[in-house]
Amino acid sequence: MEVDLASGSFAVNVKDLSKRFGDKVAVDSVSFEVKRSEVFGFLGPNGAGKTTTIKMLTTLLPPTSGQAKILGLDLRSEGKKIRQRIGVVQQQDSFDQGLNVETSMNLYGLIWDVPKQERRRRIDELIERFEMQEFRKKQVVDLSGGQRRRLQVAREFIHDMDLLFLDEPTVGLDPLARRAFLDFFKEKVKDGLTIFFTTHIIEEAEYLCDRIAVMNEGRIVEIDTPGNLKRRFGSAKAVEFRLLEGASKNLVKALSSSEVVNKLVLDELSGTYRATTSKPELVIPELYRLADKLSLHISSIYIAETTLEDAFISLVKNGSGNDSSHVHSGESYAAASPPRGSFKEAE
Amino acid sequence: MNIYVRLVYRNLRANLDRISLFFELVFPLFFIFVQGFALSELVTPFDIGNGRVISYQLFLAAGAITLTVINSGTNAGTQLWYDRKNGMFEQLLMGPFTRLQYILSIILATLIIGIASSLLVFLIALPVLGGALYLSLQSVFLTGLALFLGTMFFGSFALALSVALKSSESFNIVSTFTFFIFLFTSSVFYPANKAPPVIQSVSLLNPLTYATDLLRAGLFDSMTPFISTELTLLTVETIVIFTIAVLAFRRIRV
Repeated sequence: MEVDLASGSFAVNVKDLSKRFGDKVAVDSVSFEVKRSEVFGFLGPNGAGKTTTIKMLTTLLPPTSGQAKILGLDLRSEGKKIRQRIGVVQQQDSFDQGLNVETSMNLYGLIWDVPKQERRRRIDELIERFEMQEFRKKQVVDLSGGQRRRLQVAREFIHDMDLLFLDEPTVGLDPLARRAFLDFFKEKVKDGLTIFFTTHIIEEAEYLCDRIAVMNEGRIVEIDTPGNLKRRFGSAKAVEFRLLEGASKNLVKALSSSEVVNKLVLDELSGTYRATTSKPELVIPELYRLADKLSLHISSIYIAETTLEDAFISLVKNGSGNDSSHVHSGESYAAASPPRGSFKEAE
Repeated sequence: MNIYVRLVYRNLRANLDRISLFFELVFPLFFIFVQGFALSELVTPFDIGNGRVISYQLFLAAGAITLTVINSGTNAGTQLWYDRKNGMFEQLLMGPFTRLQYILSIILATLIIGIASSLLVFLIALPVLGGALYLSLQSVFLTGLALFLGTMFFGSFALALSVALKSSESFNIVSTFTFFIFLFTSSVFYPANKAPPVIQSVSLLNPLTYATDLLRAGLFDSMTPFISTELTLLTVETIVIFTIAVLAFRRIRV
């Protein structure tokens, strides 16, 4: 990927950035750009190198090689200037013990040199917005994991910034709080903030991110919009159906031998069949034809859409370069897309 | 507001355990008012230099004041450990500061604690020190220098230990042990030149001996020719340990 480091329209320009720890290559020559006012997602399995990349971009770790510009500033020589304009919510907890929520936020604002009146105003606003009124006077050490997380994220918005690094910010939050956070981030992006976002919750990335980079084993495998990733790398779809008569060995036998079905599995709990296919439009008439022939009745049927999670797993397992035209074998599909229920291979 | 003022205020506010501070003050007072009184009947007054003869209680009172220096020094390591344990260390290093500013803010906070605690102990011990005190510009200068260099040395030492050790538990054990060695091989409890030769030679390398002797020289006008050598040695040792602490800190893995 060609990255123009001189371009000022990007919040982050990274070119061939690497980090080694002894013999281990944690980040292997990654290059990418993040546009201003964009939410850039960084997805990857555990140990892919996401956090190491963030640590380098936030000047915490020096890169072994490569170059990067953050907000037009050189990563190696202008670290302090960069840090003055970024915010970071780490994956790990970070808090001042022995303080209550409000004092902790106030002290954080103070070290960022936010004027007293402005600190007071922002603290009240953030406490209300992040629904922390109930525990605003509570000691930080006594907070639950989710409450502490809320404080950690809210606290970061007490100071001004142009670029925010969020490393799995919603860990430990309930779905309502998570959605409220994501909506808050979206509002801030509308106001001009750029967000660099990592998560393991694919739905979050899909909801929030304009573009997503998938990282695996220290390398960037692919960068694209969530829609394009799904289209290009989403695995085969599945046709899910149920029979009034319950299980039918004859139907399973007939459908399994069909060329258009990759794999057929049965969720024993719900009695739902799942036929994996790249051509659902051919599976459905074939299914009705066979049901008719065997005097069976289909009670429900629908096509399960490909998801970003499918695309992500496919990319991580198979690497880049395989486009949507590729069809996974039944084996790899089964591994790549774990079914929702306790599906077992139909016999 | 100045960056150091902000960071020092934060260190004092967020990382100080009030109960520990209280006991750090009680500890030297216990030596002055209990051990000092108890032993003064057994030990006859003796010459500490420059013809100044003082009681053991006075001798120990000056030592107890420098004891606050070593206690406060430990605070520097504790501050760093709290930040590492609570994730604030990395958070602050990604903030608008340099590593040097962060470590200096810890040292400055430690100096404030050290000098404030010493003054408090001094004021409480004033009835004991009483008329034996010698007040002059030189005595104030020597006393201040002893407290400053002593706190700097032990603060830097605790920081270097804190960087080198992998857990707060090991830091607590190792720092307590090493500070006991510093304490009992120094001139805090006994005159170093009266100790057996082996202890005497260890004591004469010990920065706590230098800080205590400087403080006594300041408080009781017990200047000897060796005091200026001790001042030089303490300054050199402080610069060396401070440099080691800064270098170790800059290489700390995050």
